[in-house]
Amino acid sequence: MTQPTPAPTQASTSPAQFPVAERLAEIVGERHVLSRPSELLVYNSDGLPGYRRQPRLAVFPGTREETVAVVRLLAAEGLSFVPRGAGTGLSGGALADDIVVIGLHRLKKIISLDVANRRATVEPGVVNLRLNKHVAPHGLLYAPDPSSEAACTIGGNVAENAGGPHCLKYGVTLNHVLAITVLLPSGEVVELGSKVGERDGYDLRGAFIGSEGCFGLALDITVKLTPKPQTVRTLLADFTSIDQAAHVTSAIIASGIVPAALEFMDGPTIRVVEDSIYAASYPRDAEAILLIELDGLEAGVSADLEAVRRICLDGGARNVKVARDDAERMKLWQGRKKAFGAMGRLAPHLIVQDAVIPRTRLPEILATIRAISEKYGVVVCNVFHAGDGNLHPNIAYSADDPAESERVHKAMTEIMQACIDAGGSITGEHGVGLDKMGYMEAIFSESSLNAMCELRAVFDPERRSNPGKVVPVHACKEWHAVPGGRLRTGTSSLTDAPEPRPVEAEPSHPSAR
Amino acid sequence: MPGCALAGTPLADALPGINACVHCGFCLQACPTYLTLEDENDSPRGRIFLMRSLLEGTVKPDDPSVQQHIDQCLGCRACEPVCPSGVPYGQLLEATRATLREYRSTPFIARAILFVFAREWLLRPAMFFSRILAATPIPTLLSGIKGRLGFAMAMLASTGRSIERSRYQPVTRGERGSVATLRGCVMDGLFSETNRATRRVLAVNGYAIVAAPGQSCCGALHAHAGDLETARSLARRNIAAFGHSGAEFIAVNAAGCGAIMKEYGHLLKDDAEWHERAASMSARVRDVSELLAAAGPREGGPLPIRVTYDAPCHLEHAQRVTQAPFSVLAAIPGLELVPLHDSDQCCGSAGIYNLIEPETSDAVLAPKLANIRATGAPWVATGNPGCLMQIGAGLIRAEIPARAIHPVDLLDASYAAFGQ
Repeated sequence: MTQPTPAPTQASTSPAQFPVAERLAEIVGERHVLSRPSELLVYNSDGLPGYRRQPRLAVFPGTREETVAVVRLLAAEGLSFVPRGAGTGLSGGALADDIVVIGLHRLKKIISLDVANRRATVEPGVVNLRLNKHVAPHGLLYAPDPSSEAACTIGGNVAENAGGPHCLKYGVTLNHVLAITVLLPSGEVVELGSKVGERDGYDLRGAFIGSEGCFGLALDITVKLTPKPQTVRTLLADFTSIDQAAHVTSAIIASGIVPAALEFMDGPTIRVVEDSIYAASYPRDAEAILLIELDGLEAGVSADLEAVRRICLDGGARNVKVARDDAERMKLWQGRKKAFGAMGRLAPHLIVQDAVIPRTRLPEILATIRAISEKYGVVVCNVFHAGDGNLHPNIAYSADDPAESERVHKAMTEIMQACIDAGGSITGEHGVGLDKMGYMEAIFSESSLNAMCELRAVFDPERRSNPGKVVPVHACKEWHAVPGGRLRTGTSSLTDAPEPRPVEAEPSHPSAR
Repeated sequence: MPGCALAGTPLADALPGINACVHCGFCLQACPTYLTLEDENDSPRGRIFLMRSLLEGTVKPDDPSVQQHIDQCLGCRACEPVCPSGVPYGQLLEATRATLREYRSTPFIARAILFVFAREWLLRPAMFFSRILAATPIPTLLSGIKGRLGFAMAMLASTGRSIERSRYQPVTRGERGSVATLRGCVMDGLFSETNRATRRVLAVNGYAIVAAPGQSCCGALHAHAGDLETARSLARRNIAAFGHSGAEFIAVNAAGCGAIMKEYGHLLKDDAEWHERAASMSARVRDVSELLAAAGPREGGPLPIRVTYDAPCHLEHAQRVTQAPFSVLAAIPGLELVPLHDSDQCCGSAGIYNLIEPETSDAVLAPKLANIRATGAPWVATGNPGCLMQIGAGLIRAEIPARAIHPVDLLDASYAAFGQ
């Protein structure tokens, strides 16, 4: 649509001041380049709006050819950029600090579906749930199912190596991507992986998945599709103590049964979901529930169902309910998957962490989290992938209250430290982005961080794709060896060379909105 | 919020609703303008961000690009039933438009329409003229010309294409209670047969129809455009008229009108004198399909036709009435219901949006028409005058051999086939 846009009345950036904006508009059309600060505001955050970075320009290519042309133009100009999908990420990974955002949400074609070989090739902007709806009539599914599946894109899933409840049994994005056509920041197009199966040589596809937009962007992605299981059963076990639910989780895993999903929600989370339109008839007075899904062949599932029910009851479950039909199953799952969004009912701002801990330490860590939340007087809502020990402590708070923000920040930092001390990692599926960069040096050695920098240099030697994320720049040995550091790549026709700024490491810090 | 830039405005009042948004993005794929325009400024999450930025002072209310993105919202509220945090998006939009009104002028067409609709003495002659025009071949002849005039003519032409039926005299015992019906503006002016059919089918289903003289336009168009004062004064007139009627229920056959009448309590929340009466009236408002579904409804005579159903946004998303229209259609023997893909997506009518933002409206209508064409059904049932005319005009202009019709007209034709 070519809506006539009246001249801006307030201080703003006209395309004439930025020749590159005009040239981008020649590629993608005027409507798909944003340069006015007021229109760029909504692109200053992702799903974790405690972090805000204002981009300089946003460009939304509509085809593969346009995308290649955009990246080549930026390469020729030496401009840095950040690829962005649906902006549902939870680590500040898609934020562009005074550089160009390349929105890939318009690339939403499902290019091909090969039912016999169970694979599909999609553009990066295809929404996860849309792919699943497209393949469902053929008895197939795309297994990785992040809770944001109704909004997030496959391209974003690849960038973050996204997980989801069902990754306990089926594996994460990495296990379901066969091949990627990658557009390197230089503008070169390369094929990583193979649509037909394993090839010899280094697994560069594996390196690209989870690279958080730092290695370039995907033009198309070939994914593996999974046959729908013959039988699916979903159980809801409720407990009057968090500790019991945590021990039952460990007991189920120890029994050797591999559930398709094993999810944990605590009392505050249950109540916030029950207040929302996704109310799933979870018992409001429970202190914890486990949502357990078993799938496979009918005979095996029935046996496992009985075993899991017994473990829950023996472990102190008050009730174990089995969903009667698909409608009830979907309702139980919708409550779980929309829990994050429902936290807005508690307070205007939210931070969430993504630590992974050894599953045997679950009871002890949950007790520690409770103690920390009491110490700082904050309410932690725990809703997480218990089966693989991937915690998601959420704290709802008001960033307008500096004292509260400070307490929340301290509580989150202590929670993360406790997870690290327990032998855990800082992110299971949300990515490092901006949010967790400050913890990188706590869990990786200098030589590991250097190796990461060197790997990145293979894909993006000029560090123009999503600069300032994942690995703190000061941790890179060879970075210090380059005279001018960030200045060199930050220099552009967009702007006078800015002073190189230290990359902020504000772990979990909810900078005031 | 410390240092609110627009203190004392309707938008500042709406801050708790804005604060409920945690930026999760679950609304994006539900939003027709995001899917069409492909810019997050034209999504619920983006517009809420702009609202917050207006309050923070990081964007100014006279910024034309902000105004444009707020204007481009259809107000379909498809984002509300998918929002886990329960953001009252429709109310936020109205508050924003009411606040921005101070900083710019409303487009001429919108001003003219809102001016006429708020004044009975102008509305009646305008509707009379439209009716006369619709009865001539002129709208059909001009319905093909490019642009808004052609579209407006096609809208008029579509109103004369309801289903043929014989007359019957309903007999009622009134055992289900008394009902006053909203006459409405467009419904009264261009769909008067549907209004009569509404009273007949309610009577057949055991409702006693009572008169509610003195009622006016519901005020929905004014509220959506941000003219909350006019909306409130129209609401007060309706509260008085329907209060005086003594009816147990107020039946509305226009989804857009029903939606705002169910929200009169909110509209008049700060009016000490009227708030309570507004809330109690809102509690008695029902879409006609709800009253019919509660009564069964009674089965009619055979009507062997193929019908597809398109949900009006203000019924599906705003009122959350999803199943009742299907109960109405299920009471018609012989009627074959063909499912419509994306029937919960907006058709682009959105009150007077199709006249103010024609290009976006057309872009939103296009997939709707393609989906209707794919059903092959000659009838599209939908319970709102805006949608009836938008889809009706689209069908005429795209030369799709189908007609839009109110579900009540189909039930009425079925009863007529029975001789009640």
